[in-house]
Amino acid sequence: MTPQILAVEVRDELYGIIREPAAVFFSIAMPVGFFALFAGLFGGPSDGPVSNATMMLASFGAFGVISVALLNPGIGVAEDRERGWLRVKRVSPVPVSTTLAAKVAASLPVAFGVYAAMSVTAVAMGTFDTDLGTWLAIAGVLLLGSLPFALLGLAVGFSASGRAAPAIINAIFLPMAIAGGLWMPIEALPQIVQQIAPALPTYHVSQLGLGVLLGEPVLDHVVALLATTAVTAAAAATAYRSSRR
Amino acid sequence: MADTVVNIAGLEHRYGTTQALRSVDLTVASGECVALLGPNGAGKTTLVNALTGVLQPTAGHVDIDGGDPRRAQTRMRLGVMHQIAGFPRTLKVTELVSGWAVRSGQPASAAAPVLAEVGLSDLAARRVDKLSGGQQQRLQLAMALVVDPTLLVLDEPTLGLDIDARRGFWRTIAEHRDRGVAVLLTTHQVEEAAAVADRVVVLSDGQVIASGHPAELTSRLADRTILARTALDGDALRALPGIVDITYEAGRLRATSRQAEATVRALLDADPTVSDLRVEGASLEEAVVSLTANAYEEVAA
Repeated sequence: MTPQILAVEVRDELYGIIREPAAVFFSIAMPVGFFALFAGLFGGPSDGPVSNATMMLASFGAFGVISVALLNPGIGVAEDRERGWLRVKRVSPVPVSTTLAAKVAASLPVAFGVYAAMSVTAVAMGTFDTDLGTWLAIAGVLLLGSLPFALLGLAVGFSASGRAAPAIINAIFLPMAIAGGLWMPIEALPQIVQQIAPALPTYHVSQLGLGVLLGEPVLDHVVALLATTAVTAAAAATAYRSSRR
Repeated sequence: MADTVVNIAGLEHRYGTTQALRSVDLTVASGECVALLGPNGAGKTTLVNALTGVLQPTAGHVDIDGGDPRRAQTRMRLGVMHQIAGFPRTLKVTELVSGWAVRSGQPASAAAPVLAEVGLSDLAARRVDKLSGGQQQRLQLAMALVVDPTLLVLDEPTLGLDIDARRGFWRTIAEHRDRGVAVLLTTHQVEEAAAVADRVVVLSDGQVIASGHPAELTSRLADRTILARTALDGDALRALPGIVDITYEAGRLRATSRQAEATVRALLDADPTVSDLRVEGASLEEAVVSLTANAYEEVAA
C-alpha cells in the first residue's frame, strides 16, 4: 500500500464527515455547544491549580474526542456494508484493513478539531489556564485514548445496520460517558456510580487527561486502556469475520 | 491464438452443506466476451466472487493473467461493474474515479479521459448522490475502465439504461475488447448476451451444462416455431408429426414442433389453403430454459 492510497482513503472518509450535515452537528457542534454551556455554568476558578473549565477540557474534551472516534468509523462501516460499498472495495486491490485504518485516521483530525474548538471556547470565556505543551499533551492522550472506542465502533459497524448503529453506539457510550465522569466530576456522582467508574474505559481516558494536566501518575489508566484496546480489537475482528460469512 | 486471461479449473465451492459450484472449468481469452447464464441459484455469483477474489474456493484453481485473484496485485487491472455499487454519497464523480485510479496504481489524471469516454465529463463536479440511475451505471463503467483493465467483469451492466445508453455502453465495451480486454458478463437479459457474447456458458446447479457460441446453443434445440393461417382445427393440428404445443395469436396458429420439416409437409398436404407460413428457430432464451430444465430433470431422475 502506498502513501497515496492511504491519503485517498483518508480524504474520502474526511469528506464523508465534513460534507454530511448530521455528522458535523452530532460529532462537532453538539459536544462543543455542551462544553460552552457547562463551562459557562461551572467553569470558573477551582480549589486546584487550574480553573474548572480547563479541567473540563480533559474530561468533557474526552467526551468530544471519543464521540468522533466512536461514531464516525462505526456508522461509516455499517452504512458502507449496507449500501454494498464495502463489497465493492473488497474487489479493489486495497486491503480492507487499510479502509478501516483510514476511517479511524480520518476521525483523528476531526476529533482534534472538536478539542481545539472547546479550547477556543475556554479562551474566549477567559477560563483557559494551561500552557501549550500541556494542552498538546492532553490532546495526544485523549486521541490515543479514543483508539479502543474506535475499535468498538467498528465492532458495532460490522454487526448492526446503518440505521441501528448510531442508536447502539449511543446506548453504549452515553451511560459510560456520564458514569465515567466525562460530563461532570466523578466526585459529584452517586457513591454507587463512583464505585463502578474505574471499570469503565471512559473513566480512564478522562483520568489520563486530568493526570497529564495536573501532573499525577497515569500508569494505571494506560494499562486499563491497553487492556480495553485488546478486548475491543478482538471484538472488531470477530464482528468483521462474522460479517463476511 | 489469443492469450488466456481467465483460467478456472476444477472449481468447487461449498457453503456449509450446500454445494454451490461443482468442478467448473472456464477460460476467457484476451478480447473475448463470455456470457455466464443460468437461473437464480445456479452459482453465477459464487463463481464471480471466486474470480474477483472475494471468496476462497473450497477446491480448484482460479487465475487472472496467471495470478491468484486473492492477491491484491492480481486485482490491480480487474475492472468490475457490480449490480449494486452503493457509492459514498458525499463524494463527487471526479473524486470517486480519480481515487479509484490511484487505488489501482494508475495516476489520478487517468480519470478525465475515462469520464469523457463514458460521457460524464459535464457531471465531473457533481456529487454521486445527485446522479440518475443511468448516470450511476456509467460511473461504474468509468471506475471499471480507469484501472486500465485486462479483464472486465460485468454484472447486469445495462440495468436501468435506456436504448441509446445501452448501445453506447456496448460500443465502448467493443472498443476495449478490440484492444484485447477480456469480458465476463453475467446477466438475465439473455438476448442481449446473445447479441454481444462470443461464447455463452450456461450454469445450472453449480455446474457448466453447456458452452458455445449463441448460435451453436440454439441449434442444439430441436424445437422450431411454425406460424401460419390454416383451416385445420386443433385436433387435426395435434395429429401432425412432431407437434409439441399449439396456441393462437390473433387467429394465427403458433405451433411448436420437434420435426419442423415433417410438420410443414403434413400441414400443406392436409390444408392447401395454408397462408402466411413462417418457421422460426429457437431463441437463446428458449435454448437456455430447455438446457437448464433438462439438467434439472437429469438431477431429479
